[in-house]
Amino acid sequence: MASPALARPRTPAPPFRSIGRSILLTLPMALWALLMFTPSFQQHGRNSHIGAVAVILFMTTLFFLMMRTGKTYRWRRYFFVALGFLFPVGFIAALVALRGTMSIPIERMVSGDTPFCFMVTPMLLIPAAFTRTVIFPGSILPTASNPHSIAIMIGIWSAMTLVVGKAWCSYICFFGGIEEGFAAFPKHMKIRRLDPRLRLVPWAILLFVVVLSAALFEPVYCMWLCPFKTVTEYPAVHSVETAIQMGIFITLFAGLVVVLPFLTKKRTQCAYFCPFGAFQSLFNKINLFEIRFDREKCVDCTLCRTACPTQALSAESIRDGKTLLNCMKCGACVDSCKKDAAVWHLKGTKVALKPERARLLFLYGAWAMATMFGGSILANSVATMIGFLPFK
Amino acid sequence: MLGLATGPICLASCGPVVLPWMLVQPRGVRVHARQLSIFLAARLAGYLLFAALIWFAGLAISRSWTGRSWVFGSVQVALAAGLLIYAVAWPHAGCAFRHTHRNRLVHIGAPPDPRPRPTGAAALGFLTGINLCPPFLVAGVRAAQLPSLPAALLFFAVFFVGTAVWFTPFLSLGVVRRTPSFLTVARLAAVLLACWYGFSGASLLIEKAIYG
Repeated sequence: MASPALARPRTPAPPFRSIGRSILLTLPMALWALLMFTPSFQQHGRNSHIGAVAVILFMTTLFFLMMRTGKTYRWRRYFFVALGFLFPVGFIAALVALRGTMSIPIERMVSGDTPFCFMVTPMLLIPAAFTRTVIFPGSILPTASNPHSIAIMIGIWSAMTLVVGKAWCSYICFFGGIEEGFAAFPKHMKIRRLDPRLRLVPWAILLFVVVLSAALFEPVYCMWLCPFKTVTEYPAVHSVETAIQMGIFITLFAGLVVVLPFLTKKRTQCAYFCPFGAFQSLFNKINLFEIRFDREKCVDCTLCRTACPTQALSAESIRDGKTLLNCMKCGACVDSCKKDAAVWHLKGTKVALKPERARLLFLYGAWAMATMFGGSILANSVATMIGFLPFK
Repeated sequence: MLGLATGPICLASCGPVVLPWMLVQPRGVRVHARQLSIFLAARLAGYLLFAALIWFAGLAISRSWTGRSWVFGSVQVALAAGLLIYAVAWPHAGCAFRHTHRNRLVHIGAPPDPRPRPTGAAALGFLTGINLCPPFLVAGVRAAQLPSLPAALLFFAVFFVGTAVWFTPFLSLGVVRRTPSFLTVARLAAVLLACWYGFSGASLLIEKAIYG
């Protein structure tokens, strides 16, 4: 016989906000999305139009649901996983159309035709400061054969980092979505205990790649350690050295992006490996938004710590009412907290005074950036996939 | 002038060894100054030894000497071993954190000596001194053309002074607070760099052994 507590019918949680008010709050984001994709409607073909419309609807709907339910992580994840899994589709298709292969030949590198990736940014700093040399085989300004130039990517990265800080890793980075997708598959964690000292590894890798890149005058992370070379582009395999590099890329991808996220339900590559993530953490210091904990409401249930995909919470940090430096503001802890102790916070204001206002301010910035950057990637990939369909 | 001009390249070449090694030292500008002095003195010894060798052997040693890969590979493997010892085995100041509990030493026996030993700095300094980085080879070519051994030694000594100026900013690392996390990061970075030097040196040696 069922206990009285179990027999009691479950009442669904009331919606966080009325439909009308949610639509009103979503309207600016819908207009922003329309504005962002206006050039797509003017220039490209039918597939691009379909892709643009699909992405406008997708992004606007998700934002509406965030407003309606008050949940952030839950809806953001759909966008982020879609971005992670669709980015390689559009990127590889473009590479194959341009070069006929995913691998980049040495002649292309010499001629500066390598698309710039934001991961390289911390490795550029020391050589650029001391010798005014850019140690990446790309072009500074966009060219016909390489529109993804260094200046454009650094500009986009700087602007977005100022607005969202480390939230770059949960709203913009197209690599993080792949492991978030694999982490979302299993219902329960297979591995529960992870040594918290693993959080320090990305900082060591950052130090390693920055110092060694300056010594060797080459982006060491891209040459030797990037797991995402497996699904983007890689140096053409023509020697033992390039074969070893390829082996490292595939091993890291399989281990950190596929297997470990599946077993731990964590973003293991982001939390325990990515040097760019560690570098980006530094910008959390100057960013206006953060997650704080209301100590009066917190009951130390550890639900937030379990939910956090990057182990950015510790018992000590929660006791201090803060997250650790590597918090990427995905909102998982706020969504999971049943006592409303985890709150969005605007620096300089009183904690938990108006958390929803802080969340709205943050989300308008972050979602606008996500629509602009990730949205265009999604639209391009959707258009590419439509092009693969057997019927017109 | 050559030393001053190529200083940033020297700094970048020696940075992977100096930076993690300095970061695992205890806090304090004086400690760093002492360690850096030993490191630079040993580096000078390496420079002078190389200057003497290069003068006796002439230009061939830096241009087409077939044994260059052996030297380069062996030095890198030795650097890897040095960094590994520093990161893993050497009982450095980080141990003090492990042995401290509520401001009291809880281990039995004498507390670990927080002062770093000079042998590590000397070994790493000497090895970086004979590591054939590009500015070093340029200086080697010039020294080999000089008429006498003292002139070659003097040339390398002045070249050393020019490059050593660029190392002084490393003293500022002495003011950075050493937390257990900080030391762990520095030691992990040293292990990674040791792996790199080991891999790079071993590749050179294997390549040389197979292809000659």
